[in-house]
Amino acid sequence: MDIAVCVKQVPVSNDVSVDPVTHSLVRDSAESMLNPADANALEEAVALRERYDGQVIAFTMGPPSAEKALRAALAMGADDAVLITDRAFAGADTVATARVLAESLRRYGVFDLVITGSESSDGATGQVGPMLAEFLAWPHLTEVRRIEAVETGRLRGLKKFKNGFLRAAVTLPAVLTVSYGCNEPRLPTFLSQISANKKSVPAYTNKELGLSPGAVGLAGSPTEVIDTFAPERRKRAELLSGTPEEIAGKILALIEKKRGKDNG
Amino acid sequence: MKKLRVGIIGGGISGTALGYHLSLYGNAEVVLFEKNAIGCGTTSKSAGTVCLFDDSLRNRYWDVRLYGFESYLKMEREEKGSTGFDKTGTLVAVTSEEVEATVETGIALAKAAGYQGEYITDKDRIKKILPLIDVENILGAGYTQDDGYFDGTMISNTYARKMQQKGGVVYTMTPVVEIVVSGGKAAGVKTAGGTMHLFDRVVDCTGPWSRFTGKMAGLDVPIWHTKAEAFFLSPPGKKLNYVFPVLKYPAFYALRAGDNIFICKSHLSMDLDNPMHAGQWDPDKLPATGGTDDYFIEFLFEQMQKSVPGLVASGLVSSWLSYRAEPRDFLPLLGETPIDGYILATGYGGNGIIEAPAASRDLAKFIMRGESTPLLEDWAFKRLWGKERS
Ligand SMILES: Cc1cc2nc3c(=O)[nH]c(=O)nc-3n(C[C@H](O)[C@H](O)[C@H](O)COP(=O)(O)OP(=O)(O)OC[C@H]3O[C@@H](n4cnc5c(N)ncnc54)[C@H](O)[C@@H]3O)c2cc1C
Ligand SMILES: Cc1cc2nc3c(=O)[nH]c(=O)nc-3n(C[C@H](O)[C@H](O)[C@H](O)COP(=O)(O)OP(=O)(O)OC[C@H]3O[C@@H](n4cnc5c(N)ncnc54)[C@H](O)[C@@H]3O)c2cc1C
Repeated sequence: MDIAVCVKQVPVSNDVSVDPVTHSLVRDSAESMLNPADANALEEAVALRERYDGQVIAFTMGPPSAEKALRAALAMGADDAVLITDRAFAGADTVATARVLAESLRRYGVFDLVITGSESSDGATGQVGPMLAEFLAWPHLTEVRRIEAVETGRLRGLKKFKNGFLRAAVTLPAVLTVSYGCNEPRLPTFLSQISANKKSVPAYTNKELGLSPGAVGLAGSPTEVIDTFAPERRKRAELLSGTPEEIAGKILALIEKKRGKDNG
Repeated sequence: MKKLRVGIIGGGISGTALGYHLSLYGNAEVVLFEKNAIGCGTTSKSAGTVCLFDDSLRNRYWDVRLYGFESYLKMEREEKGSTGFDKTGTLVAVTSEEVEATVETGIALAKAAGYQGEYITDKDRIKKILPLIDVENILGAGYTQDDGYFDGTMISNTYARKMQQKGGVVYTMTPVVEIVVSGGKAAGVKTAGGTMHLFDRVVDCTGPWSRFTGKMAGLDVPIWHTKAEAFFLSPPGKKLNYVFPVLKYPAFYALRAGDNIFICKSHLSMDLDNPMHAGQWDPDKLPATGGTDDYFIEFLFEQMQKSVPGLVASGLVSSWLSYRAEPRDFLPLLGETPIDGYILATGYGGNGIIEAPAASRDLAKFIMRGESTPLLEDWAFKRLWGKERS
């Protein structure tokens, strides 16, 4: 059973440091990691390979630094990995992302199954998996919690459904998206990490894929993210600093202010 | 009584231990500035081992080690949990006759101070204490049962609290952005908020940041950063059903962290001229986790194969990178500088948790009374004046 797993490199959300002088966010310290649900996708794929043989190939579309996510996938047990990278792919929405992923899978070879995470921790649209299925013209099953069996060309699994579960089967080849936390992803070991670090990772650019320039990246994206912002918070935490006396004074002033507001 | 105003920059183990020891003097007026939270720098990434013996600090500085250990024990006795002490004991693998001599001396010193300690050559017994190690290629192992590891961040916070109880002032989230030097003398500091604080002495306790802090005063602080790359391993079987002692080999050491094992290259194995080991970087750019080098995994793998085969099949849970601040001779940088009133308490390298109590005790005495000690003479910044290339 040959399985493709699509993985995305996402920012580590809690790593935002603040420039002590300008109080602006320091972006160059932003770390990235493998999208958490994609580790679950890899675990499902590697477990299936252990049961049914075959190969697990990891794909990511992103900047050259996204290779790190592929090394993590290799260390978890993927047999090979492909980096899909081209300036022309930048600014892709979910449609352009899924189109490029689909073309890359076709170019690589024949797969019985594609597994993706059910959503990324940054964009979090949850659209890439199903769109990929559309581009491949395959059936799909989303938010799968457990793969129960693969027999006579069909895969049966449990998926999240309303407040419970739904048992469903798809004809292979198919696309599955798996939920974050549906399994316990295996840890890399010394040996698997060392061989992952040494493995060569081929890169696909649009030269290899041959998609029309208008179909990829920003140009191929009907959706454009214009702005991202946090909801306006009406209650804000304020950090009081100083000596205990100074802090006590500040607390008192805040209480007085609040009381004044409430009374008048 | 005229008060001596001392400003401390940095709230790691160095700054807080010094702040506490200074606050014991009636005529000290101590103010500590920490740009982030107390104990959140190198101290937070430390292994915190304070063992009664091993070769990380020469036996010559035994008193330093003992004072550190007993200061923390006392702190823990006064308030349970205030130091995060985990009494696991320490096992030091003896890999050569040279190590054997060091270990035997260390064990003798530990016993003289009233602690349990023995040099074990019975391989079966060693295997009972730690089943994961290979006993074939060691001569024996030194074992002390009364020590273990501490939590540097907890200790720093306890010191800061004790210092405040004695009238000291602690500002957190308050970066020092300028050191005021007038007429060749350090006269105070300016914080990011724009406030000016005047002092009679300013002490740089910023560890790996000292190069930057020193520059503010016009001083070249000769420290290098050695990479402290640490890994958390999940041992095969996932649960440790025995007490995993602090395990020391010349090239690395390991200790338990819950059900995981924390493992790190030993600081004395670092080569300041090897760019894979050392350099001068910006500690503000250190990632919270990760950031370790690929070569380091191979290094650990080889070490595990050779020495701790029981950990070879471990899962790699996570890792982190930190910088140890090391002068070229791997000894701390304490005391006066060419800038009058500007004092250093930095360069603690891989032993800051062990060394900070004794070094701070002596430095506080020097600052408040002008009296030096043999330790301060040994670790004086003066030893390096004019000798450094940067
Ligand atoms: C805050 C934010 C909001 C956005 N909103 C939208 C939007 O509303 N509509 C829109 O079209 N685009 C949107 N985008 C852009 C979108 O993130 C990108 O198109 C992205 O490449 C895929 O979408 P996603 O992260 O939502 O993936 P999801 O569909 O949430 O990801 C599901 C799975 O698809 C796979 N996958 C996703 N991206 C890749 C990749 N690059 N390489 C390999 N596998 C991948 C992974 O397995 C992942 O777990 C947004 C981006 C951000 C940062
Ligand atoms: C992985 C690892 C394992 C270790 N294991 C051990 C061990 O087992 N035993 C042992 O004894 N030692 C060990 N060490 C060494 C020990 O942790 C260090 O020597 C010690 O923590 C250094 O403390 P410090 O206070 O000098 O520096 P830090 O803890 O780095 O403190 C410096 C502080 O200064 C602050 N600061 C910087 N610039 C400014 C500014 N401009 N204004 C205000 N504040 C500022 C920083 O925010 C920081 O909190 C280990 C270290 C590492 C990295």
